[in-house]
Amino acid sequence: MDLGSLLNALILGVSIASIWLIAALGLTIIYGTAGVINMAHGEFIMLGAYSSYMLQFYLGLPYLLCLPASFVIVALVGLALERGLIRYLYNRPLDTLLATYGVSLVLMQGVRLIFGSDPKYLAVPEMFQSNVMLGSASISAFRIVVLGITAFLVFALWLLFYKTRFGVQVRAVMQNKEMAASFGINSGRIYMMTFALGAGLAGVAGALFGVLAIVLPTMGASYVVQAFLMVVVGGGSLAGSVVASGVTGEMQSVFAFFTNDTFARFIIFVLIVVFLRFRPQGLFAQAGARR
Amino acid sequence: MSTLLNFENVTSYYGATRILKDFSFEMEQGQCLCVLGRNGVGKTTLMRTIMGLTDRSTGAIRINGAEISAKPPHVRATYGLGYVPQGRGILSDFTVRENILLGTFARADKASEIPDICLRIFPYLKENLDKRAGLLSGGQKQQLAIARALAVGPQILLLDEPTEGIQPNIVNEIGEILKMLNKELGISLILTEQHIKVARKLGDAFLMVDNGRVVARGPIAEMTDELVNRHMTI
Repeated sequence: MDLGSLLNALILGVSIASIWLIAALGLTIIYGTAGVINMAHGEFIMLGAYSSYMLQFYLGLPYLLCLPASFVIVALVGLALERGLIRYLYNRPLDTLLATYGVSLVLMQGVRLIFGSDPKYLAVPEMFQSNVMLGSASISAFRIVVLGITAFLVFALWLLFYKTRFGVQVRAVMQNKEMAASFGINSGRIYMMTFALGAGLAGVAGALFGVLAIVLPTMGASYVVQAFLMVVVGGGSLAGSVVASGVTGEMQSVFAFFTNDTFARFIIFVLIVVFLRFRPQGLFAQAGARR
Repeated sequence: MSTLLNFENVTSYYGATRILKDFSFEMEQGQCLCVLGRNGVGKTTLMRTIMGLTDRSTGAIRINGAEISAKPPHVRATYGLGYVPQGRGILSDFTVRENILLGTFARADKASEIPDICLRIFPYLKENLDKRAGLLSGGQKQQLAIARALAVGPQILLLDEPTEGIQPNIVNEIGEILKMLNKELGISLILTEQHIKVARKLGDAFLMVDNGRVVARGPIAEMTDELVNRHMTI
């Protein structure tokens, strides 16, 4: 081994981290705010990929426009789901778990019925298909796009939550729903909007993952485990998910450099279990009393 | 004087348990109404019923004649209710500034600035706007809770045991501030209190509660020692 290739592994780690983080963002928002464990998160990602595929295949929309469009489409799906189902279950966490799991099956089979089980592909502009040299590391240009978009979204979310009046309302509801309501904040509306936001973020992630891999009705399952781990390790806060993704992404890359991908993942899962044994509330736990 | 708040045969529940039973009273604009009674007779539940925080209630609750009993808490707040709950309900992850700003969401005029009054009467808060509210002492948290309720621009301040667990010199200070808010700014107060002395000093009218029912009410001058002994000594 030499220092150069270790450096490559570290750079690749940042890219892995950004992929895991963008998969976890929507889940973090929904869990952190409403305390809902959204089992359909993976299928929201899948819907994002299919949204982009449809827009591209049937309407010929340029790929970069598919990203915001997928956000809007999946956010609307999330909105409909929240209004039609989730909002009746906020005081029953176990029921939300089952309900969202049911929704995930419906979405997966629904997409399979419409589009079939054969893989679809998303086309990206020529310039994203090349490889870029970062120092001595060669990395696909598209992974840098993913990194950039992840960084942009994290920054935008930070602005939204910490610099706007909407953000104050969301954080007030997170800490103490009753006091928030006593001061004029409609927590039902806040939950609705954060659920839609979280779904939309999954949509963007899906539009990106459709390029990194192939578009399949079952594609959500391969991202959702990582996403859940990031949320659990991070403690459900935005900062927690960022740090958790960063650390585990780097560990994945470095362990894989010494061994292989599968073994690296095995080590990480074990480390996460040990970590949660000693800190079950995660890295940055929310102090507030949720409902 | 006109009637500001009016309860008509209100029964309020937690689950299937009735906490307030057939509760009726009214208060005039600009009054300070002291709600008295032993622990556990329903004083806090009265406050929570006004805010709409109990599981359900029957009967009519009116503010300036408008029936609010079917409205959810976040709508009720916009009728000019500034709530200072028992235990203060400070959001400890928020800064002092954010806690006060929380009050502005219930403002009728939708203004998003901290009103001057909040900081004028509590200089300590003015100097520590960016401090995390969780780090404040009990007395400071009480000041913050009152400032936050004032940020609503309230017609009525609901103060649930405002002097509970606060050192004696601050109790006086808070008493003076409440008196000023009531007498000079004309904000009506509903105050639950265990200290008879504070109630006599501030109150215009009293409401004696026992076992979820109104057992006596009237001008504060009519609150005889005999009445106090019967319903408040243990």
